[in-house]
Amino acid sequence: MNRSTDLYVDGKRHILVADDEMINRELLENILCDEYDVLMAEDGEMAYDIIRENRKTLSLILLDLMMPKLNGLDLLSRIKEDPDLKGIPVIVLTSDQASEVESLMRGAADFIPKPYPQPDIIRARISRSIELAEDRQIISATERDELTGLYSSEYFYRYGEQFDKYHPNSDMDALCLDVNHFHIVNERFGMAKGDEILRKIASCLMTIFSASDCVICRKTADTFLVYCSHRDDYTSIMDKISEACGNMPTSIKLRIGVYASCDKKLDIRARFDRAKIAADLIKNNYSVSVSTFDEKLMENELFAEQLVDEFPKALAEGQFQVFFQPKFNITGDKPVLSSAEALVRWFHPTLGMISPGKFIPLFEEDGLIAQLDEYIWKSTAATISDWKKRIGISVPVSVNLSRAEMYDPKLVETFEKITSEAGITSKDIYLEITESAYVRDSDQIVDRVKELRSHGFFIEMDDFGSGYSSLNMISELPIDALKLDMMFIRNAFDKINDTRMISIVIDIADYLGVPVIAEGVETEEQYLALKKLGCTIIQGYYFSKPVPAGEFEKFLNDKKF
Amino acid sequence: MLTIDALKQFGCNTDDGLSRCMGNEAFYFKLIGKVIDDKNFQMLEDAVASKDLDKAFDAAHSLKGVLGNLALTPVYQPVYEITELLRERKDIDYSEYIKTISEKRKELAALMK
Repeated sequence: MNRSTDLYVDGKRHILVADDEMINRELLENILCDEYDVLMAEDGEMAYDIIRENRKTLSLILLDLMMPKLNGLDLLSRIKEDPDLKGIPVIVLTSDQASEVESLMRGAADFIPKPYPQPDIIRARISRSIELAEDRQIISATERDELTGLYSSEYFYRYGEQFDKYHPNSDMDALCLDVNHFHIVNERFGMAKGDEILRKIASCLMTIFSASDCVICRKTADTFLVYCSHRDDYTSIMDKISEACGNMPTSIKLRIGVYASCDKKLDIRARFDRAKIAADLIKNNYSVSVSTFDEKLMENELFAEQLVDEFPKALAEGQFQVFFQPKFNITGDKPVLSSAEALVRWFHPTLGMISPGKFIPLFEEDGLIAQLDEYIWKSTAATISDWKKRIGISVPVSVNLSRAEMYDPKLVETFEKITSEAGITSKDIYLEITESAYVRDSDQIVDRVKELRSHGFFIEMDDFGSGYSSLNMISELPIDALKLDMMFIRNAFDKINDTRMISIVIDIADYLGVPVIAEGVETEEQYLALKKLGCTIIQGYYFSKPVPAGEFEKFLNDKKF
Repeated sequence: MLTIDALKQFGCNTDDGLSRCMGNEAFYFKLIGKVIDDKNFQMLEDAVASKDLDKAFDAAHSLKGVLGNLALTPVYQPVYEITELLRERKDIDYSEYIKTISEKRKELAALMK
């Protein structure tokens, strides 16, 4: 069903014929009755009553101008002045040209002369008028956002393009305005309050951006787009809007992305994509409210998109390689290889080696991380198995789990399958779970961790100290090792040379009866200090950077002999 | 009995009239039967006699519309002419027009028998 006329295949639209001459009414009824349900009125008053009564279903009125009681022109004016009725198209039946102009001025859609033209001409004019009126009604129903009265996005883009046609030389800005964490406003204060805030922002935008050089829309929930002539100072505009929303029960924080003096050769949607990129850049930054797009931003965005796009191919072609960084137990006289951490590297055919810092966060956002992690887990298991077979020994290798994976009810099953297929056991693979994963939905995560431990897996809490766990919670955590967040090492040695925080974490680990692993250890000074403080295991460039499996074998061989 | 040929001979443009009736002769003839009895003929005559030009114009204008739609040219023509004069509310002697209209109406009525 792609045409509106299809809606009426099994039904008929209603038409009113208002003419005091019975013969004329009968002629028209005879011409129209196959296609329409024809209502008839023999004077103006009667016509008006029928129109009011059938206002919701009437598709068109054929109106004779000279009628008793209420003449056609007066009736026409009454219809067009009534908001309930003015949408119904009126075709005037007349024999004099003077009345034709007058009728059109008063809002008639068309006229049909007397004597009547050929029936097919009458039908065509009627059908055309109905179609136009219905299109217009659909347009006015969809053109505006119901909540705010601003344009809806489709119309916004159209009107923006139209504006460009009429003002090809004006310097235009594309703006994207968002409310920070709007869903929280809705959750805390209810939808009604949220709606009130959105209406307030809309009316503010309408005041600030005058209609003559601006088009404004509400794109989605709390995203507003503005296309306006170039302005220099958006900070004061944002202050004004925030001020107008000031008497709200919560401090509403707005952010705006500005693509200033935009390139009109770009599709209008692309211009607003750029404004949105700029706006998202300050999503979590409460101190800045205006963010301006520049080309560098676009490059980052395109780079990110390229990485996501190329992921499946890269995975299939084995562009991802697992590297191993050794961990050493430093409690004895000499450091002893205790385990390793599996870390992924992407060797891209044209971009070279891409840092995991660049693609891991992207894949976490896109959900691709699950596929990548499973690949890492499998190849780690295969490597361990290979070492065991060829070298005769191995060390446990830890792999990383993302927060999302912790919700997977089949996680234990997956690991059991991976280990059994590789011919290794749960003692050979350690699992690193970041502390922040425990903090949100902790019950669910804790249960999953318990399940993994009950199947023999060793759990290292990664990035400890970054996730703000409460001391109370820590005592109940099912873990086998604490891995110090790298920030502790950096802060302790780089800036203030204060190792007190590390001591505290080591005390916590002692209390829990688990070892402390320090990563990011780069110098002998750090190594010695950590050893003195009682740190159990050390990982970092001081011993070795992450290396390919083949290179790692030397550590195993050293351990063996 | 009324026939298309008789109407044609009388001077009616039956092709037009019939096409407005979707080619349905019986319907066409039925409407012609009704127009002969249209009260506006009498109203026009009375209004002209009493010099009520507004009322005369309304009656003539209505008749003009219907006669035109049925393409009854010999009756339509004098009605059309008197309507245009009455539109201007011309203070002239309309009796010749009334007479012609009445005659043509009678001739048409005679075709019905």
